[in-house]
Order: sequence, then structure tokens, then C-alpha cells
Amino acid sequence: MRLETIVLQNLTRRLGRTAFLLIGLMIGVTTVVTLLSLSDALSRRAQHELERFGANIVVTPKKDQLELSYGGIQLGPLQLAHKEIDEAQLAGIQQIPNYRNLATIAPKVLGAVALADEQVMLMGVEPRAEFKLKRWWTLQGRQPENPAEVVAGSAVAERYNLRLGQEVELSGRNFTLVGLLNKTGSQDDHLLIAPLPTAQSLLHKEGQISMVELAALCHDCPVEEMAAQLRSVLPDADVNPVQQVVKTRMHALGQFRLLVWGIALTVIAIGALLVFITMMGAISERTREIGIYRAIGYRRSHILRLVLAEAGIVSAFAGVLGYLVGVAATWGILPLLDDGSAHWSWNPVLASGAIGAAVVVGLLATLQPAFRASRLEPSAALKSL
Amino acid sequence: MGASGSGKSTLLNTLGGLAAPSEGKILIDGIDIYRLSAERQADFRREYIGFVFQSHNLMPYLTAQENVMLPLVVTGLTAKQKRSMAAEMLERVGLGHRLLHLPSQLSGGEQERVAIARALVNQPPVLLADEPTGSLDTATSRQIMELLAEFHREGQTIVMVSHNPDNRIWFDRILTLSDGAIVADSAVGDQVANF
Ligand SMILES: Nc1ncnc2c1ncn2[C@@H]1O[C@H](COP(=O)(O)OP(=O)(O)OP(=O)(O)O)[C@@H](O)[C@H]1O
Ligand SMILES: [Mg+2]
Repeated sequence: MRLETIVLQNLTRRLGRTAFLLIGLMIGVTTVVTLLSLSDALSRRAQHELERFGANIVVTPKKDQLELSYGGIQLGPLQLAHKEIDEAQLAGIQQIPNYRNLATIAPKVLGAVALADEQVMLMGVEPRAEFKLKRWWTLQGRQPENPAEVVAGSAVAERYNLRLGQEVELSGRNFTLVGLLNKTGSQDDHLLIAPLPTAQSLLHKEGQISMVELAALCHDCPVEEMAAQLRSVLPDADVNPVQQVVKTRMHALGQFRLLVWGIALTVIAIGALLVFITMMGAISERTREIGIYRAIGYRRSHILRLVLAEAGIVSAFAGVLGYLVGVAATWGILPLLDDGSAHWSWNPVLASGAIGAAVVVGLLATLQPAFRASRLEPSAALKSL
Repeated sequence: MGASGSGKSTLLNTLGGLAAPSEGKILIDGIDIYRLSAERQADFRREYIGFVFQSHNLMPYLTAQENVMLPLVVTGLTAKQKRSMAAEMLERVGLGHRLLHLPSQLSGGEQERVAIARALVNQPPVLLADEPTGSLDTATSRQIMELLAEFHREGQTIVMVSHNPDNRIWFDRILTLSDGAIVADSAVGDQVANF
């Protein structure tokens, strides 16, 4: 038998008493674990979604003069000889150090084509990349898959009364309309969309790119740095990080975490108080017992160890149980908060942190009661009954 | 012996290193025990003194055997040694068949026997007993006194507090206390009046 055995027997043979502290602490741990893992899951999902919400780096050709347009109003003369980016240069993107953080690279070419004697904006894209980037695009029909297929924005379809599957003549060449873009309320409604090579040849812009949109997909991407890396491989282009998206996202998530941590700290403080009060009570209740231990020849340090071991064992159990219940609660609650796309994921830091914090809080809150117990005058302790 | 409040427990606790006297010193084996540090005093109690109290001696959450093992827990003995020493001691006080019982499953007399076994398990030179029969009926008291007498015959020094005059027959020397002072000592031929 060891000191810890004494404690274990005490705890298991007086289960009622142990249960109170155990359950109290466990509720605390459960609350903190649930809150933290919910916030974890939700913020990961939010981040993921925001990252997919669109480009956060835009590459455009270098301009020779300041732009003379604002909010769609053109003030200056239309640029006649609009410079484009050389498609061959895009290969350089693969050389940048953070290439692996680029989830999507969507190059496109823009220009006007003739449709029913009028001019319509045609955008040549790599359909897969483009549709991945523009998650808000919804389509009747499908994406263009071969060179003679196009998709029309809702305004275009309405104006020219286009229907799915119909033949369309663009600048004298025939295309099949395979998709209709639902209304987006943006400039996209005014577009015709075709595969990049088709559009390049139709617009006589072979090997040219008007614009590249890139999405960086990672936590806390060094977007500024990635932009600098892109500038070095694309000397003829302007590279603009869309910082606002990143910054707003970080700010919102930061606020959310702050709130969760605030609640967590409050719960931890209440847990510490609970341990403190329970242990204080246990010690005044067991004063005579302590007197007997002292009479038998237990040192102050032995009493200290007995009391701390008791708190440590209960806290560790509460930590483990609380963590498990917290995980179960997260599983249960997540689908209610969300369409089901947020997922719980095993987080070893949270697991060990929750259990470790329970033990540390339990021990710290017991320090004072334990010292008190160890300093009880043996003869005085024996008198209490 | 002495009336209630005469200082019997106080004297016993002072002898046993549980309460320092405000004046004077206690020498045991030439050791001035109250000049030791608090931790060394605890070690001293463990090695020199066995305590038995009137009641509530035992930890309710430990079996008889575990209770007897308590003084051995903080020594360097192996688990096996601790267990067998405790079992042997319980055998000697007649509780060999009760090793795994909790105090609540034992009678008052049996509990007192466990307490005696615990006090003697590490063979201290002195056993201090504060009214060990105080809460027992006459027949059980007698059995406990017989048990203590048996240990005494084997050489165990026992200092016992009692205010039951019937117990006088068991004692070699009787100190009588009144108002915190020794008023009679049978060793120097003092006669003690009635209680
Ligand atoms: N020598 C002494 N000097 C000062 N105070 C004393 C002395 N002896 C006893 N007292 C005080 O007297 C009170 C009663 O003493 P104690 O508890 O030892 O009595 P007792 O004889 O054991 O009584 P009971 O038979 O009721 O157990 C205690 O508060 C103790 O501090
Ligand atoms: Mg007394």
C-alpha cells in the first residue's frame, strides 16, 4: 500500500462525496471543451468557405496610365491597344515558393465578339478553375467542355432570348449553348463564357491572357509575400492582393475566439472555486482523521501529498470524462448549428490541454486547503469529533 | 487516572509528541522530542510511539488490514512485507479472519483491536492508550484489557488513561491527576482515595 492507494480507497469507497466534485469539475471541462471544439470546427469551416469565396490575388497587365474609370463610369478614352499578359509567363507561377498554397489559378481572356450585329463581352476561361473559384455561380445545363460550346450570363440570355441547347453564331462561328448562368447581380450576367483557347482564337489573342485570379487556400496565408513572389515571376503584370477579404476574415474569427476564451476562463475560475470550497470542506470534516495520521507518524509533507493526490486524481478523471462528454456534445450540437459541413476533428492539443488544465486548476485550488491540513496541530485535530 | 478534565489526555499527548508543554521538556531515550523539527517529531512518533484512542481510531474507507498497514506506508518496506506484517498483527489480536472488513462491518471491540494492532505493528517501545475501553461494554472492555496485558507480559510498555476504577487491577503503577497536576503515584506508595 502506498499513499496514493489510501487516496484511491478513500475516493472509491466514499463515491458519493467524490461524485460531487467529479461531476462539478466535469461539467466545467465539458463546457470548455465543447465551446472550444465548436469554435474550432466553425471557424475552420468559415475559413474554408471564405477562402473559397473567391480570389485573394488578382493579376492584371501593367497599365501605362492611371485608370480613368470609377464604378463602371469610363472617363478617359477607351484604351485602344490594350496590353495583355503573355500566357507563357504564367508557367513561372509554378516556381514561386508558396506555389503549394495556391488552390486555384484561373487565367482568362476578355474581348468583344459579335452576336446578332451587336457587341457582347466574351470571357475565355479554364472552366474547371473558373467554376471552382466562382462558387456562387449556379448553372442550368453544364460547363463548356469542348471548343465549340459556350455558356451565357443571364442578361445576355434574356436580351437575345437564348435557350439551352440552341446554336449561337459568334463573330461568324457556330457554337452550342450548353449552359445558362443564373442571375448573379454582377458583371458576370453580361458575359458569354467559352473555353480559353476558343476565345483566344475568336478574339485574335492567341497566347494572351487578360487577367488571372488566384485563390490562396491556407490558414494565415502570407498573401502579401505571395504577391511579391508573383511579381518577381510576372514582371509585365500588376499583382494585387485582395487584402480586405483576408483581414476581415481574421478579425471576425479573432473576435469569436476571444469570446469563447472569455467564457472558458470564467468556467475555469468557477471550477477552481468549486475545488477550493469542496476541499476546504473535506478537510474540516476530516480534521480528526488528519490528527490520527499525524499521531501515527505521518509528516506534514505526507498529509500534503494525501490531499493533493486526492485533488489530482479527481481532477484528472474529471478532465478525461469532461473531454469525452465535450466531444460527444460537440458531435451532437454541430449539426444543429450548421448545415452539416462543419466537422469535428481530433485535436490532440485540446485533449491534452483540457485534461492538463483540469489537473493544474484542481491542484492549484487545493494548495491552500492542503497546506492548511498539513499545518493542523495534531493534538487539536484529535480533539475534533 | 483522574476526573474528567483533570489533564489525562493532555499528559498522554505531551508524552507522545503531539502537544508541546509550555514549560519543561520530555526526554525519551535521551531525545528532547520538542526540540526536533515538526517533521522529525512525526518520524519520532512513528518509530517510538503507538497511539490508541477511545474511538474513531480507524479510517472508515480502509479495511482492517489497510488500517493496520497505515504506519508502514511511509516506510521503505515492500508491499508484501507491509501486507504480511499487518496480517500477522491482526492475527495476534484475534482478527485473522477479518482482514478485509471495513470498520463499519466490525464491532466496537473489534475496531479497538484493529487500533491496537495498528499501534503495535511497527513495534514501538511505548504504547499510549487514551481510554481504549471507554466506549465498550464491560465484557468487551475486559477482553481488550486482557489483550493489552498479554502484550505487556511480552515486554510492551503501556501508558494508559482510564477513569474506570475496575481497571486498576491491571496496572503496575497508577498516577492520579487532578487539575492538571499529579496528586498521587502508586510507585511511591501514595494511596489513592476513591473515584
Ligand atoms: N498541566 C496542565 N496545564 C494546563 N492546562 C491543562 C493541563 N492539563 C490539562 N489542561 C487543560 O485542561 C483541559 C482538559 O484536559 P484533558 O482533556 O487532558 O482532560 P481529561 O482528563 O483527558 O478529561 P476527559 O476524562 O474528559 O477526557 C484541556 O483544555 C487542557 O488544555
Ligand atoms: Mg481525555
